[in-house]
Amino acid sequence: MARQHPIELFMPPNMLKAKVGGGPGGIDTAAVKRAEAAMETLTSEFSDWIADDVSVLIAARARYAKTPDSEARAALLRAAHDIKGQAPTFNYPLIARVAASLSRMIGELSAGIPIPLNLVDAHVSAIQVIHKHKMQDTNDKTAQILCAELDARVDELAAAHKK
Amino acid sequence: MGMSGYRFDRLKVLVVDDNAHMRKLVTTILQAFGVIHIFEADSGDRAWAILRDANPDVVVLDWVMEGLSGLELIQMIRTNSTAPNPFVPVIMLSGHTSMDHVRQARDAGVNEFIAKPVSIKTMMSRLVAVIEHPRPFVRIQGYFGPCRRRRGAEEYRGPERRSENPKQQTAE
Repeated sequence: MARQHPIELFMPPNMLKAKVGGGPGGIDTAAVKRAEAAMETLTSEFSDWIADDVSVLIAARARYAKTPDSEARAALLRAAHDIKGQAPTFNYPLIARVAASLSRMIGELSAGIPIPLNLVDAHVSAIQVIHKHKMQDTNDKTAQILCAELDARVDELAAAHKK
Repeated sequence: MGMSGYRFDRLKVLVVDDNAHMRKLVTTILQAFGVIHIFEADSGDRAWAILRDANPDVVVLDWVMEGLSGLELIQMIRTNSTAPNPFVPVIMLSGHTSMDHVRQARDAGVNEFIAKPVSIKTMMSRLVAVIEHPRPFVRIQGYFGPCRRRRGAEEYRGPERRSENPKQQTAE
């Protein structure tokens, strides 16, 4: 029945191509190399950036502990989600893994189920330990055990409160 | 100018992310590509103001933000009558990587999707994609934006199926 609705298809003029020219397309390898070099200059800041993001996460945790409303819950999820997305770039893939576990926990719990602060704290502590000891190797045995334990706890919680 | 000869210096790019580090990362990459005119917004609301003021050529947009989300902003870009350019290419950055999320982004009207962590090569390839492979736009009940025919995360990005003739499409 959807086809009863009119469908308009049109190709807008390619203003972008007209503006930047170039082509036949493909990767500008020189620009990629420049970007890799530029990124290298940022790496010395990455550890501080992680620390900043962890501070935001701790503040969001404190806000949720004080007032566990939907805004505080969303702020906590955003903080965890940011770390999950950024930590690999900042050379901390294990922190991303822990943050992904925390994001999953918050995301999988229905809005009416309180987020268990002890488990939030366990994730925050794990992130702090990984950061403090500069565990940047994904094969780090201690960190792997820590991550597996957190995953298992989140699995248990998710199973108990399946949406 | 690099091997592909793009004049990235002629582009105006708006980078929208509420995380300052992410903005720094993205702008550093874009500057290294040769982009000079970069506008930064730390919220969807601020981005909307800049969009109407500066009319950028490309928008690089984070999904999860406090207040106006990336998804809501793109819906405004595509459908609000005061949007300066409803066709502006939008590259969405997201830590959400499931197929369901990619579909949601597509249904909101994004052109290209980058799953975090951001890589330089992916950023370049998505930029090249919006320059070289613009998609036809479609207006159908409840949707206005780039044609959504490509399915799946990889297909969503890839240029392989773009030779199809839009006129042959009877439904998206």
